[in-house]
Amino acid sequence: MADPLELNELASDPELLRDFIVESREHLSMIELHLLALDQDPSDTAALNAVFRGFHTIKGLAGFLELDAIQTLTHDIESVLDLARNNSISITPAHIDVILASKDYVHACLRQLEQAASGAPCDLPPNTELLASIHAVAEGPQAKPAEVPAAMSALASTQPAEPEPAQPAVEASSIKVDTHKLDFLVDMVGEMVIAQSLVKHDPDLAGLAKPRLARNLAQLARISGEVQRTAMAMRMLPIRSLFHKMSRLVRDLSRKTGKQVELELIGEETELDRGIVEELADPVMHMVRNSLDHGVETPEERAAAGKNPVARLTLKAGHQAGCVVLHVIDDGRGLDAQKILRKAREKGMVDASATPAENEIYNLIFAPGFSTAERVTSVSGRGVGMDVVLRQIQKLRGKIEIQSTPGHGAAFVLKLPLTLAIIDGLLARVGNETYIVPLFAVREMLRPLPEMISTVENREEMVLVRGSLLPVVRLHRRFGIAPRSEQLSDGLLIVSEAQGKRFCLAVDELVGKQEVVIKSLSGPMRQVRGIAGAAILGDGRVGLILDPEGLFGRKAA
Amino acid sequence: MQAVIETPVPNKTDARAGKYLTFGLGKEEFAIRVMSVREIMGVQEITVVPQTPGYVKGVINLRGKVIPVIDLRLRFGMPEQDYTPRTCIIVVNIEQEGARMLTGVVVDEVCEVVTLQSGDIEDTPDFGHGVATPYLLGMAKQKGKVKILLDINKVMSEQEVHGLGDALL
Repeated sequence: MADPLELNELASDPELLRDFIVESREHLSMIELHLLALDQDPSDTAALNAVFRGFHTIKGLAGFLELDAIQTLTHDIESVLDLARNNSISITPAHIDVILASKDYVHACLRQLEQAASGAPCDLPPNTELLASIHAVAEGPQAKPAEVPAAMSALASTQPAEPEPAQPAVEASSIKVDTHKLDFLVDMVGEMVIAQSLVKHDPDLAGLAKPRLARNLAQLARISGEVQRTAMAMRMLPIRSLFHKMSRLVRDLSRKTGKQVELELIGEETELDRGIVEELADPVMHMVRNSLDHGVETPEERAAAGKNPVARLTLKAGHQAGCVVLHVIDDGRGLDAQKILRKAREKGMVDASATPAENEIYNLIFAPGFSTAERVTSVSGRGVGMDVVLRQIQKLRGKIEIQSTPGHGAAFVLKLPLTLAIIDGLLARVGNETYIVPLFAVREMLRPLPEMISTVENREEMVLVRGSLLPVVRLHRRFGIAPRSEQLSDGLLIVSEAQGKRFCLAVDELVGKQEVVIKSLSGPMRQVRGIAGAAILGDGRVGLILDPEGLFGRKAA
Repeated sequence: MQAVIETPVPNKTDARAGKYLTFGLGKEEFAIRVMSVREIMGVQEITVVPQTPGYVKGVINLRGKVIPVIDLRLRFGMPEQDYTPRTCIIVVNIEQEGARMLTGVVVDEVCEVVTLQSGDIEDTPDFGHGVATPYLLGMAKQKGKVKILLDINKVMSEQEVHGLGDALL
């Protein structure tokens, strides 16, 4: 089977080969899904049938293209599954292991074929070992013929249970679109909305004051808004794919570490921007690994602590106040605040005399190189990880929180924006410039009275807002712009939050609220502190988006 | 095009030969490769970006793309001048750290597109007193006038361009 791959006439047609690869991948991901379901409940005939169908289709396609290695393998898998369908064997984790391995093998083959399609020489990896193990698991239970008669009668009842009719309807209602086309569409729709707004606010047209024109313009605005929302929705993906990747990971890890873990998935249908779902895969994987390795105890330890030997890991997604919130919860031993603090003191990250609050202690695990693991395992413990997680989440403009109860488990809570492309912003004017303040960073706004303002050493300004003194950052001073007025009480204060501390941003006036499409800055202004990006305003000018963290952080430094 | 075909091919072909867009800056005439020019536009409203070097004028909206704009006069340390109706923004495609990006360059005026032969181009003379000029491709003389050939990628690279104004004026 390790012969170099010779593509037959059909398979050397790149179009056909690509179709095969795409279609097979889809079947493989479906197979994995159902296999994991089968692992939970071996009597799930619907899942069993789905796995069977997937392999069967791949076998057919591979046969058509004369890809023998894949064909023989899938054929043998089919035989095993058929035995299970006939109830002559019952599915055990050993079976699942072999079938998962075969699935991975086919996946590897597809990658090779993909290279072949682009002209590179390739040969499929050998599958003799896999075939042998398939035969081994298939033959074991066959030695017990006593079970077969019972299977015969059961056969009739399992057959009609196949959920065939529902399947085609779902497939027909969606089509595949190249992501580049989709991104381009979203870009163009953004442009269209801007152009529409330019027309709407055109002073010459506004001067005409014709009711029909106004009506038509309003209609145009409504339609383009709708188109934009739809285009954005097209980029949204349910978080399901990410969750299912994790179910495979949890299964593999728990078998490797000898811990028993039950994975619970809640809110799989929660939709997120495609980009965010992709970027989330790594951090969530890290957190799941961490939970399994550090959080979850061995079955013996759990039993000794009077807990269910089977640990529970929950992935929960849902919407909350315009954000998507993702929880990674385990019921393991929880974070050991004392141990973390001790390690942090050893490393000199915390003064020996300081007594940080529990929350601050937990946040120490996000420091680079921090690890409390006594030994490095293949899973985790090297101290790379949580800092990467934090950085990745921050890159997505998200937040991460830790909740932990010693002995009862820990929860990592991620708060993420729905999309990376658009933010709600307040338009604030300073001098002749208009800046966009991200709405998520705004706590409140107020016009200060002169008696609320006090100064420290005649330099630093503070404002008393409802009993708390907040420092003031004058935007015009930070950015070197001439303001409309030097009097704080003539302008507006935007109360914002950075690094968990509140502060006031002094601006001249508020222009309004607008949803803006974020454009990143390039070249020399890529790394201006306090500026997160740019956006095109309703009048076609470029407005800069402020980054409150950067604005305030600079002051502190 | 005709001119290109009729001119006899020189024995030694210079990699610098080809079509250039020329523009004026003060009393000098500069030239950049036509291939790197994306478009030429009049001056439009520029949004100032704080905490950037003085030659970085800010950002503009190029049909929905936000691109940086630099003032070549200030980049070369020449005195600043108010923009006139002849002032143009040349949008160039530059490569930095392997990534392509569009940048606007403010110049006093855009002149013409010329084809420079190998014979027209000379190496940059040594200005002495240690003036490093890595962004100068060379000098071209045509019809008795000198055009300074710029490597626009190097002009844009982050390091400071010192003393060109002094050296040339």
